[in-house]
Amino acid sequence: MSPAGKGAQRRLRFLPRVGARNLGLLIALAVWLVFLRFTAPFYFNFDNYRVIGLQIAFIGIGALGTSLLMIGGNIDLSIGSMMAVCATAAALAARDIGVIPAVLAGIAVGGAIGLLNGLMVWRFKISPLIITLGMLAVLRGIAILMTSGYAVTGVPDQFKILGGSRVFGLQSPVWFLFLGFVVVGAYLHRTTTGRHIYAMGSSRDAAQRVGINIRRMTIGLFLVNGLIIGLVGLLAASRLGTANPTFGVGFELEVITAVILGGVAFSGGEGSLGGVLIALVLIGNIRNGIIAVGLDSAWAQVANGALLVVAVAIDQVSQEQREKYRRLLAMRERTAQEVAGTDHASHAKQD
Amino acid sequence: MVEVRSVSKYFGALQAVDQASLGVRAGEVLCLVGDNGAGKSTLIKVITGFHRPDEGEILVGGQSYSSLTTLQARQLGIEAVYQDLALCDTLSASANVMLGQEPVRLKIGPVKFIDERQSAKRAGELIGRVGAAVPDLQAKVARLSGGQRQAVAIARALVQAHRLVILDEPTAALGVAQTHASLALIRNVAQQGVGVVMISHSLEDVFRVADRIVVLRLGAVVLDTPASATNRREIVSAITGMDETVGAI
Repeated sequence: MSPAGKGAQRRLRFLPRVGARNLGLLIALAVWLVFLRFTAPFYFNFDNYRVIGLQIAFIGIGALGTSLLMIGGNIDLSIGSMMAVCATAAALAARDIGVIPAVLAGIAVGGAIGLLNGLMVWRFKISPLIITLGMLAVLRGIAILMTSGYAVTGVPDQFKILGGSRVFGLQSPVWFLFLGFVVVGAYLHRTTTGRHIYAMGSSRDAAQRVGINIRRMTIGLFLVNGLIIGLVGLLAASRLGTANPTFGVGFELEVITAVILGGVAFSGGEGSLGGVLIALVLIGNIRNGIIAVGLDSAWAQVANGALLVVAVAIDQVSQEQREKYRRLLAMRERTAQEVAGTDHASHAKQD
Repeated sequence: MVEVRSVSKYFGALQAVDQASLGVRAGEVLCLVGDNGAGKSTLIKVITGFHRPDEGEILVGGQSYSSLTTLQARQLGIEAVYQDLALCDTLSASANVMLGQEPVRLKIGPVKFIDERQSAKRAGELIGRVGAAVPDLQAKVARLSGGQRQAVAIARALVQAHRLVILDEPTAALGVAQTHASLALIRNVAQQGVGVVMISHSLEDVFRVADRIVVLRLGAVVLDTPASATNRREIVSAITGMDETVGAI
């Protein structure tokens, strides 16, 4: 191939990265924003952006963990309750022990629960959906037991710094979101381990045969997800200066919606953090926009659930399309080869 | 040179492999044939380290082993490509070829950044070496045809396999034309100086590609011959164990 041709190919390589999927999300976002421009002009101001940013931040940081898990072919449904347990643990530690132990407690508790989930999913070869669905209920109950059902109050002011401060006009959770996307994105898209996560989600068998340690990776991803959710819980408790065992009800649904809408395949092995980020911005604007337009906030919930269904449907249909395309390709190749078949074989034998 | 000597393998009371010996030289295509249950797969799995032989030894590069682990076999340059290919459909052809062996650009502690350019280059070379045409190495493997997918799987095996590539029924799922291409590809692999063991049920394919033919029956090697010194009839009677005048099919 000529060098010019190679250059063109390299440039073309980045086209699928932006992808039809992400393009679709961006168009949907643009259409929605134009609609809001006419129906709710006051929507567009910096204070509102900050509200949206904060909402996106918590869902988005959670989405980092779920993206990692789901690309690797797993899922953790217990993150909503896990976040409540971590927030409660952090707030209790802040009130009774100190600020530093509180920070450690929030993240460590998350890590411990994540690790437990990972070990169970690995040991009992049952769908992680069922195991972590059970944990969703278990952990919610534990969060309530930890405080006898009451909110934890009376945390020291220093505890509120981590999640409550602003840096260069942006709230700290938003910074954590940016930082998280850069770090996890680099890890997932640029490193060997990231590549192996995709491989594992795509075909466990293939990954195993080339010597990738599936066990360590599965458990490791659940652990990382737990640590990330620990951070979410900690930030929530710190930002609000309190923790409530009802924190994060429905959180898992919001996170999974963003992740799947962003193009991560439910079956694993596919998707990118860029897509998830676009999906987050879209979701944030839809939720906020619905209220800004003057609709009942319950519609935001309807929209969220509908988005999940739509996202899964798109995922399924595009997979069917690909399957169709492959069959077409195979058929075309077969006919092409049958025409030139004997010719090709004799040629191959000559050299 | 990879050799097994007097290898036996029992599964309970069943003797799957019975004092079997065979050797593959570099650059040679050895076809292993036999009826279902003749012990072909078991023998292969002894070489790739999935099965531990109960008797006998395995010689690789002059070194004798009573058994191999899968890791050992891979480190010694022995790789198998199974019929299902075990590819990652959602990854690119180049990522599949280099999977587990990605060239590293930068290493910070345990974090290794992939050198994508080097990876694509190496994958291209390897696919070129097997003589296959994969138009776009960055395209997902899901978009490739059956023949191209096989080329990717064999190229991946070649990353590690400097001694021996084992192909289990490589042409079973392919059409006539693709089979021709696939056999040409297998010859190319042998020409790189790598030994090839191919399991096949198709005697037509076997005679088209083999340097040597080894016939297994009830776990024992009943015939080990250069392909040029035998014919279909002899092979068939060795497989079935019937006299050639009776067993002429």
